[in-house]
Amino acid sequence: MNISPYYLSNTDLNRFLEDLSACFQVYIPIQKENQRFYKEFVPGEPVSLGMPRTFEPLKAFLTRARETVAKDFNEKTPRQGKPIAILGAKACDLKGLKIQDHVFSGRDGADIPDPLYVDFRRDTLIIASDCASCLETCFCMSLGVSPHPQENFDINFSTLQDGYLVETGSDKGKSVIEKSLKLLSPASLDHLRERDNLRAKTAASVMDNIKKNSVPDQEHFKGIIEKNYGSEIWQQEARSCVECGCCTIICPTCHCFLLYDQKDEKSMARLRVWDSCMLKDYARVAGGGNPRAKLWMRLRNRFEKKFDFFPKVAGIYACTGCGRCISGCPAKIDIRRVLHKLVEAHV
Amino acid sequence: MCKNPYRLIKAQVLDVITETPSIKTIRFKPEEPMSFSTGQFFEITVPGVGGAPFTPSSRPSQKDVFEVSVMRVGKLTRVIHELKPGDIIGARGPLGNGYPIDYFRGKEILVLGGGCGFAPLRSLMYSLFELSGQFKQLYFRGGCKNPGEFLYRREIEGWYERKDLNIQLTVDKGDDTWKGNVGLVLNILDSVHIDYKTAIAIVCGPPVMMKFGTKKLLEMGFSDEHIYLSMEKNMSCGIGKCGHCRIGTYYACKDGPVFTYSKIKSFPEIWD
Ligand SMILES: Cc1cc2nc3c(=O)[nH]c(=O)nc-3n(C[C@H](O)[C@H](O)[C@H](O)COP(=O)(O)OP(=O)(O)OC[C@H]3O[C@@H](n4cnc5c(N)ncnc54)[C@H](O)[C@@H]3O)c2cc1C
Ligand code: SF4
Ligand code: FES
Repeated sequence: MNISPYYLSNTDLNRFLEDLSACFQVYIPIQKENQRFYKEFVPGEPVSLGMPRTFEPLKAFLTRARETVAKDFNEKTPRQGKPIAILGAKACDLKGLKIQDHVFSGRDGADIPDPLYVDFRRDTLIIASDCASCLETCFCMSLGVSPHPQENFDINFSTLQDGYLVETGSDKGKSVIEKSLKLLSPASLDHLRERDNLRAKTAASVMDNIKKNSVPDQEHFKGIIEKNYGSEIWQQEARSCVECGCCTIICPTCHCFLLYDQKDEKSMARLRVWDSCMLKDYARVAGGGNPRAKLWMRLRNRFEKKFDFFPKVAGIYACTGCGRCISGCPAKIDIRRVLHKLVEAHV
Repeated sequence: MCKNPYRLIKAQVLDVITETPSIKTIRFKPEEPMSFSTGQFFEITVPGVGGAPFTPSSRPSQKDVFEVSVMRVGKLTRVIHELKPGDIIGARGPLGNGYPIDYFRGKEILVLGGGCGFAPLRSLMYSLFELSGQFKQLYFRGGCKNPGEFLYRREIEGWYERKDLNIQLTVDKGDDTWKGNVGLVLNILDSVHIDYKTAIAIVCGPPVMMKFGTKKLLEMGFSDEHIYLSMEKNMSCGIGKCGHCRIGTYYACKDGPVFTYSKIKSFPEIWD
């Protein structure tokens, strides 16, 4: 699918995005203090694509934190506005989308598709970008993700000294690029060399992080949940948890939700809100029975879902190494440490 | 575009029948065709209040009007108990996989139930009765806390008349209206005379009964793959997306709610 890479200069990036704005609502990552967020692109504003992951996970564009899934007794719940183009999606978040796709896309008839997700996924343009640097909490390479996107994108940008190397990853990406050919020139060998050097540099810093924090590689994850099911680790780690649910809400792979109903005089609606398996009532059944009444059981369950369930049903660990749950957790529960303990305990 | 699985079908409440102090049966008529096979469930929604899974207790062959028997345990079920004929509700389904009735043909069958489990089991019994004569033997063993809480008591006691059924009922604690057995339902299994090794057992009831019932059946010699359990888990979407009802590598809503014991026995803490 990849066609030979193009080069786009820094100054032409803005014009490229203006072209894109004709058909898409364009979102770009921005840096605010020491965090990064997505915002809607305004023509003329500076855009930088090399920085690591944003605060919000990419899934937020595809299954909204809260949205109407059915209105009254109607079949359709159209989403408003132009389709979205997301700029600067990171490799870790693209792996997260694989999990979301597994759950919501219907998997070629193997499962019921979620129509809202399917439509939105089809219409959304994903423009990924290499990480030119990483955060202290990044450990994507432990989970088989390298910090430069290799799949699951429509277009990918690699930051160079004075511009970008542009590659397409899908037909949708190709047709978008074809509309802006006037801005692009074929990439030179120097550009490719520069990109490869930068990629190697970021990968080396991620590996540094991994070494410093003794994060085990995913090749050691097989069976870590089953073998540690009765371990003390869960109680130890859950001791400081305040049950805020942050770890699951900002996780790019977590997909759980809750349906709830609203009504006014004229209409009623059914909404879907993100839910968290760390919250007490998540699995409670009628009359108060709760299979996971204790916090440590819910922590264990969270790891079980990521490192036992998904590898078994989808052949993939539901962790991307993005480190969001590490920086988000007020109780300093560190998934790298938990994984280290789980792997150590069972060798 | 694919069908919206969250869409509700409008339905009108026809009747609300008080069964026991805590259970009412809602008869409703959907405005569009719906159907279910026994063991599958619907999601019933009261507009603006919420929805939850309920297994129809009516005859699967009856396709215009459905019944669910609802135990009052919390917020939604309290509102369901206050429904009146003419009220509008929403329904979604059928969801999940039911009992493999065809596979049961020609076999010896034991149905073991308790409490609220009689609701789904009534629809199962209707399905089995419709195939009367096609099973080698049919046993029903049912129990309840007390006669006052005996769901469909009249109707189920009427099954004693049937030639195609061997039935025994019991209550934990009797009263003057009760002439039958007193004690746990597991104690009336000794009068089941079938070849345990090849017979089918279907268990549906409160969690404790499911757990100890299964244990007892295994001791008697029933095989793992012949014990059918109907698993109750917290559910929201009913279609394997929201995550709530996970049991090991399955979702109870989409891979169940009816499972053979062999399918789930390797997962930890299935009874909790
Ligand atoms: C497959 C299946 C079939 C069922 N069939 C029947 C039936 O035929 N008759 C019957 O009386 N009951 C049945 N139940 C149980 C019924 O769904 C619960 O009693 C009902 O959800 C309780 O709702 P509530 O708001 O009144 O209870 P509360 O205890 O007040 O519940 C409050 C909240 O707890 C959660 N919750 C508790 N239990 C459940 C649950 N089982 N599923 C989802 N959320 C839950 C919900 O989020 C709910 O909003 C069935 C359950 C399942 C899974
Ligand atoms: S985890 Fe890897 S891919 Fe994600 S932001 Fe950090 S370096 Fe980039
Ligand atoms: S109820 Fe949502 S996954 Fe089963």
